[in-house]
Amino acid sequence: MTVVEDARASTDRPTEQLEEGTTDPIAVAVRLRPRAREGLERFVSTDPAPGLELTRIPQVGRAVKSRKFQFLLILPNQIIFWLVIFIGILGTAYPKLNFATAITWFLWFCLVFVMIVVVGRAWCAMCPFGGFAEWIQRRALWRRAQTRLGLGRKMPEKLAQYGLLMSVGTFLALTFVEEYFNIAGPGAPIATSIMVLGIVSSALVFFLVFERRTFCRYLCPLSALIGSVGAVGSVTGFRTKDRNRCIECATKDCMRGGEEGYGCPWYTWPGSADSNLLCGLCSECYKACPSGNVGLYLQKPLTSVVAPTRRRPDVAWAIVILLGLVMYQQFNATNVYAAMDGWLNRVTHFPQYPNPIDYFGTIAIVTLAAAGLAKLGSSVLLRRDLAVPVGGTSFISRTSRFRTFFLPLAYGLIPVTGADYLARQLPKFFEHVPALVPAVGHLVGAGSTRSRLYTYSILHAPGVVIAQIVVVALGTAAAMWTSWRIAGRELAPVSKNPEATRLATTGLALAVGIAMAVLYVLMHGAN
Amino acid sequence: MTTSPVHGLQALDSSAASPIATIPQPVTATSPLAPGAAIAATPTVTVVTERCAGCQECVVRCPTGALTMDIATWTVSADSSACVGCRQCVRTCPFTAIDVSGPLLVAERTPLPGSHMPEPLIGSAAETRLGFGSWDAALAEASRCLQCPDPTCVRGCPVHNDIPGFVAAIRERDLEEAHAVLRRTTLLPDVCSRVCDQAVQCEGACTWSLAGGTPVAIGALERFVTEHHPVPPLRPTSRDGNGLSVAVVGSGPAGIGAAWELAAAGADVTVLERDAEPGGLLGWGIPDFTLPAAVADRPWHQLVEAGVRLRCGVEVTPGDVDQLLEKHDAVVLAMGAGAAIRLPVEGGTLGSVIDATEFLTSAEIALREHTPLPALEAVRPSDGRAPRVLVVGGGNTAMDVARSARRFAAEAICVEWMSERFAPVRPDELAEARAEGVDVRFATTLVRLEGSDGRVQRARLQRTRQASARKRPTLIDGSEETVEVDLVVMAMGYRKYPDFSVSLTSRTVARVAEGLPSRSWQASGILAVDQPAFARHQPVGKLALGRETARTAAAIPARDRVWVAGDALVGPSTVVEAMAQGRRAAKALLSRLAKTPGRITKPRSVLMAVESRGGHTREKAEKIASQLRRAGHVVAVAPLAEVGLAQIAAADLLIVGTWVEGLVVAGVRPARATRRFVKELPELGETPVAAFCTYGVNPRGALSELGSSLTQRGGHLVASAAFGPRGGDKVTSFVSSLVSTLREGAIPVAVRN
Repeated sequence: MTVVEDARASTDRPTEQLEEGTTDPIAVAVRLRPRAREGLERFVSTDPAPGLELTRIPQVGRAVKSRKFQFLLILPNQIIFWLVIFIGILGTAYPKLNFATAITWFLWFCLVFVMIVVVGRAWCAMCPFGGFAEWIQRRALWRRAQTRLGLGRKMPEKLAQYGLLMSVGTFLALTFVEEYFNIAGPGAPIATSIMVLGIVSSALVFFLVFERRTFCRYLCPLSALIGSVGAVGSVTGFRTKDRNRCIECATKDCMRGGEEGYGCPWYTWPGSADSNLLCGLCSECYKACPSGNVGLYLQKPLTSVVAPTRRRPDVAWAIVILLGLVMYQQFNATNVYAAMDGWLNRVTHFPQYPNPIDYFGTIAIVTLAAAGLAKLGSSVLLRRDLAVPVGGTSFISRTSRFRTFFLPLAYGLIPVTGADYLARQLPKFFEHVPALVPAVGHLVGAGSTRSRLYTYSILHAPGVVIAQIVVVALGTAAAMWTSWRIAGRELAPVSKNPEATRLATTGLALAVGIAMAVLYVLMHGAN
Repeated sequence: MTTSPVHGLQALDSSAASPIATIPQPVTATSPLAPGAAIAATPTVTVVTERCAGCQECVVRCPTGALTMDIATWTVSADSSACVGCRQCVRTCPFTAIDVSGPLLVAERTPLPGSHMPEPLIGSAAETRLGFGSWDAALAEASRCLQCPDPTCVRGCPVHNDIPGFVAAIRERDLEEAHAVLRRTTLLPDVCSRVCDQAVQCEGACTWSLAGGTPVAIGALERFVTEHHPVPPLRPTSRDGNGLSVAVVGSGPAGIGAAWELAAAGADVTVLERDAEPGGLLGWGIPDFTLPAAVADRPWHQLVEAGVRLRCGVEVTPGDVDQLLEKHDAVVLAMGAGAAIRLPVEGGTLGSVIDATEFLTSAEIALREHTPLPALEAVRPSDGRAPRVLVVGGGNTAMDVARSARRFAAEAICVEWMSERFAPVRPDELAEARAEGVDVRFATTLVRLEGSDGRVQRARLQRTRQASARKRPTLIDGSEETVEVDLVVMAMGYRKYPDFSVSLTSRTVARVAEGLPSRSWQASGILAVDQPAFARHQPVGKLALGRETARTAAAIPARDRVWVAGDALVGPSTVVEAMAQGRRAAKALLSRLAKTPGRITKPRSVLMAVESRGGHTREKAEKIASQLRRAGHVVAVAPLAEVGLAQIAAADLLIVGTWVEGLVVAGVRPARATRRFVKELPELGETPVAAFCTYGVNPRGALSELGSSLTQRGGHLVASAAFGPRGGDKVTSFVSSLVSTLREGAIPVAVRN
């Protein structure tokens, strides 16, 4: 705990500060309490190297400083997704020939995962859904407007304490709907249109009810996935250049909004950001900072997985639930699953695939298995005399023996989870993305199902499976490395047997990777 | 309850003797108090740890220390038992990540002796509002002050009095210290504590007030200090003004501010006052029952004692300013805004229609000397009934007129065309006027005066309707009525003397919030959490911002060696603002002109406003700046968009740098942003300026265009240069001409006699 000196003790000798920007020699008597500075070493492991600052490159710095930066990122996507909405409704019913389905599921969804793995929240910076709602909320396309539209409510603490878990919930729900209606299959193009329109309109509603990007931070179906898996990415997000300066800053324009930039829409302070988890790369802080103390940096891949000293329970649970979801999506392509799902639907009179019992059941089994292993690890491997630090009362701030083990364990699985999501998208990309060319052509009457590219595939079945297994293998190797590092730093010091702990967590990452690879082979067999 | 919130407050208060026990104690279930009564709740603090970024804005401001940093997670943790519910954390948190619910744990405001009606009212010049009579009452009220680390009241106060500082001194029972704290920022604590509208200034910005409670009675506490300990005399503070001779026109609050500041710096000050008595508005404008003569005259006794030369009965016309400049090094014009506004109404030229100034001046003397008021005697009805006075206007001056009239046994009616909800009158003053028998009619206007023999007999009044504060009231048809009146006093306010306005160029100071003077104002929670625009809808924030703008404007000379301050600058405002502007103008004057032989030249402050596109101009600017810095000057380089009025006011030399746009064949000009910037500059009043531009091919007339436009704004162009792609030597010669200008003194000071 910080010891905050009682400011009253120094009433007789006031520490007066001359307001910055005030030229009057009369000081405004302000006697702020001293700011806590101890514990800053917690940021050492996560602070990027000054040499890796991207904004130091003049062209990059100027581009990011420009108020039109994010607008120009969003604009192309905005055009594409409104086309998706209209063409999905009005265009051909052949999913593979319809521009809406072809671009969304053969190209966009794969690119999103590539961006996650390479950058982090790159998609969030250019997302047309939040982007559109934000334009309306701000009543400006790129201008720094000082008034806003909407109610400006804040996410109440009762919900906010679950952080990204709300986003996980919406992702599970949306995925169920998507599987049920076979939207991403791709199925009928109109289903894709309706889904996109649904996301845009719900984003708009939430942007008008809540302040800033509350929707993106807490509710967007993709936010938890992009955020947690994005930790493997090589961009830090916007960070402080000199932390002391941020701590001393009197105005905090990056948080409140300054002349040139809005306050952080994602509720992230460059002065205390220790991962790229919640930086939407919108560059508002960079524009707002009056002292030019914010920069955009590169980092080594996996840094945001390994380095942060504060482990968030919402991220940990999000990872194991998302792991459950992706493993379900592999499992549902096997013959065993098909038989089970059919049986369940008959018994429960559920009309069709997927039965909610096996959908949520599979996810729950994987989640609980991971949690159970963590529980086992915490009771078997952790030292008996371990003193768990005192935490708060909310979900986000509670501490326990279980969490002491579970949080690092789950973080270690981030790379393999991310790799599996990417691998899952590979068949659609390799087998169908050439069809995007006739789909675009079809809009102007040039492409058709007879086009050579319509049926052309970059890679066929065995090749795709090999590619998937290679991706999963890379992810597994990365996860083993991160588990080994995290366990070594965070679990070994509190373990009875440090080596066994490190081996156990690393072994779990390997086991998950092998299970995924096996499932891909089985899926191929089922095809 | 072992940890009651009282602990938090006691920790603040070093004197255990203060009556802290009046703070409501949390009532527990076993309380003997009123069974079944609502159980007083304590505040609850909720930190949204998920969103908390650990910026510590709340921690450094919490008055009770209820918030601490949790280093392990770098978030804030709260101790609800220490919270008093002031909600400063909620107002300051940039991420809306903290919430406080529950009551404000603060004692009821200590009752003031309050407004008292003089008995008998007629002929009485006794003060109607009284201060705290006893130390006990003052200490009780002082203990309600939270001693906020970031006191919003200080920002609400136009002169930024260190309010927690002097309140702490009262708690220590050290009034000398309280005066010392006040003297740092104000010269008129005795006057301001009586005439300031605290409700929209310090008390309106008090943290209790912003949290929805009753503010600390700051005005009454300030008054307590001045009533129980004399205001200290003028003491020399510096020798900056040695050898300077300055004429101050006007002896009102702005004149007092300027004269005091100049005299304290050792300048030779001559004050020229039109009236026979000094004090300006403090003397004739505010009746004795609000501001006693002894209080109003106190500053002048002290000033004259300190050697300020006061010449009353000297009227200065605009044409005299040049003459004054021949005899003095500088002139401060602080003659106020005394041109009365008259309602252009039929019958308005009748003999018994007079201005508030005329009425108040004579009423003050008559009341003091217990003689009848000539204006009233002249219209006294022959049938023996009391004369009836119609006061047109519903502001504070109108109240003063009506209340004075009541003291001469006249009947008084005030008509104000605005609705009561929007009228700019102090609520306490309105209540007092009504208690004294003044018939105040809002939403009523005068449409016609009727009379004969040059005397008013009847006034036609009509009701009005006003939808919002900004909308002009409209007449309601068929609502006319006629009242018998004997005297009509126009008290609709004042404006600046038009003849002076013409001679001082047409500079107007718009007292609107043009951006935020300092963004830390926002941080203090006086303004909004995340939206600066919100400030413009909040009276406190709005007023505070406007005042800053005006104060900055007072520092900029209106002409070479001429400064304007107070109402003469901004139109009718308040005593405290006028005083502050007077001091501000005097300080600006001293820093510009202070020049005694043998003194080492102070480093000059240079502002470079630069418009750069490719970075070339910026690079040149940095080069010039570094050379000027090497010569010992303080140089700030800023993009045009970031240059504010305050920076321009503080600069001894303004350098404008730009690139040139256009095609050589089609004509080149300074970049558009630069042209706009120069066009929007305030009147520079002979401030030295320099201009440079960078070009690729041929600047043609761009540089001279820039130079002449700066001159048009009143700048004194000392150097200009155009730098081509290769122009290293030119920079050096440009800088050396600047350095020589600065060495001579930023402003050519007139040869002294």
